[in-house]
Amino acid sequence: MKLEGKFAFVTGGRGGIGRAIVARFLDEGATVYSADMSAGGSLDRNDDDGSRFIRLDVTAEDECVAAMNRVRNEAGRLDILVNAAGIEIEKTIEETTLEEWNRSFAVNVTGTFLTSKHALPLLRSAAEQGASASIVNFGSYDGFIADPGLAAYCATKGAVHALTRAMACDHGPEGIRVNAVCPGYVDTPMLQSFFEGEGSGGGGRTVRQLQKAVCDVHPMRTYGTPEDIANLVNWLASDEARYASGQLWILDGGLSAQVQQMSP
Amino acid sequence: MRLKDKRAIVTGGGRGIGRGIVEAFLKEGASVLTCGRSSAPADLPLNCAWMTADVANAEDMDRLAAKAGVVDILVNNAGVQVERTVLDSTDADWDLVIGVNCRGVFNACRAVLPGMRSGGSIINIGSVSGRTADPGMALYNASKAFVHGLTRSIAVDHGPKVRCNAICPGWIETGMLDAGFELASVPEAARQDALLRHATRRFGRPEDVAAIAVWLASDEAGFATGQLFTVDGGMTAASPINPGIF
Repeated sequence: MKLEGKFAFVTGGRGGIGRAIVARFLDEGATVYSADMSAGGSLDRNDDDGSRFIRLDVTAEDECVAAMNRVRNEAGRLDILVNAAGIEIEKTIEETTLEEWNRSFAVNVTGTFLTSKHALPLLRSAAEQGASASIVNFGSYDGFIADPGLAAYCATKGAVHALTRAMACDHGPEGIRVNAVCPGYVDTPMLQSFFEGEGSGGGGRTVRQLQKAVCDVHPMRTYGTPEDIANLVNWLASDEARYASGQLWILDGGLSAQVQQMSP
Repeated sequence: MRLKDKRAIVTGGGRGIGRGIVEAFLKEGASVLTCGRSSAPADLPLNCAWMTADVANAEDMDRLAAKAGVVDILVNNAGVQVERTVLDSTDADWDLVIGVNCRGVFNACRAVLPGMRSGGSIINIGSVSGRTADPGMALYNASKAFVHGLTRSIAVDHGPKVRCNAICPGWIETGMLDAGFELASVPEAARQDALLRHATRRFGRPEDVAAIAVWLASDEAGFATGQLFTVDGGMTAASPINPGIF
């Protein structure tokens, strides 16, 4: 087991990709704190019984401080922080209200900042004990190239990419690695909501037709599963990745390797 | 006139993007020598010098450099494409694509660099396909990535004397673009679909590429070197999902 003896903290741990990461970390022997806005979505397994669930709004600094205090009291250190909490507003900038814009940045960027800031002393403790401390942020392939009608989301993910490199530079000397995973299309409630919004929005196509069309644009002819993403996060969190830092890891079934796909 | 008194070589200037660059350079006051594998096209501007030459042939490039004498600007535009995957590509395809697109740029740079005036500018035509792949264009995509790598090397190695940049055009209205659409089962439908993938809702024109070539050739670009400049109407800023599906 790759993460035996490690303490991990996963934000967004009860939804989509975060939930799959919690499951994988447990499989790999880690002790996992799963943090999310609501407790729903726990895993159907004995070791996700809620005893290490932390109700957390990553935009609230006092809650982030309290969460890390609890980890300090119970574990004394933290080896792995995964910032998987995120939201997506499906609008152009013209349609986006200031409130939506601020909310996007609050969760996706400020949340990553706050949890990382307050986890750093604990990560440093782990590093000082000779372990490999690792932060895994969530960027997106949308931080490189844009999907239509996702302006604020694209911008937040670009910010996460830059923040990832900055954190890696600042905390690498302390033995803390920082990377970002940049998923493409992944089968999550967020993607389903996107399909449903588009499906009702025009073109007369069903969600199923949209799903197939999206799959067909991928060189792999499918979009990813949360487990695919958890595979990479697991590696980045593990000691095998001890030389990996400051990088943006695109995992998208080859989607962004293409210029544009010509219609057949 | 931004290129007044400058002397330029443009390879493959008989048609397409190269021709657009030749005409723009002439308009900006440069004297231009161009070349191609055939004889001079009948409609080549009268004040443009022509030499029949193959960039893949090192001796031809030495002759071209000798004829040009001291130059300020070299544009490596000559290029070919073969629409095939690796499995379908023949040895002859390799010799053609790598010979023209890779060796050609190398030959021309090696031959022309010694005679370039200090402050000169080399402009290579790379491609968006050198950064991300166009399906079914394996050797072409790879050859353009070579051009991008060589661009950086020349900028680094010969920096005090010359600048070297690459332009990465997207889909430009030329015979090469039409050849791409001919691969589709319904070429006109493919063309319409492709238009929707451009924020500008149009394909590029040779003069769009020529516009940035003029800037890179001019002294205004005196601090620009070693970079790849994409001019693609916004195509590669968008996901390949965009926007045919949603």
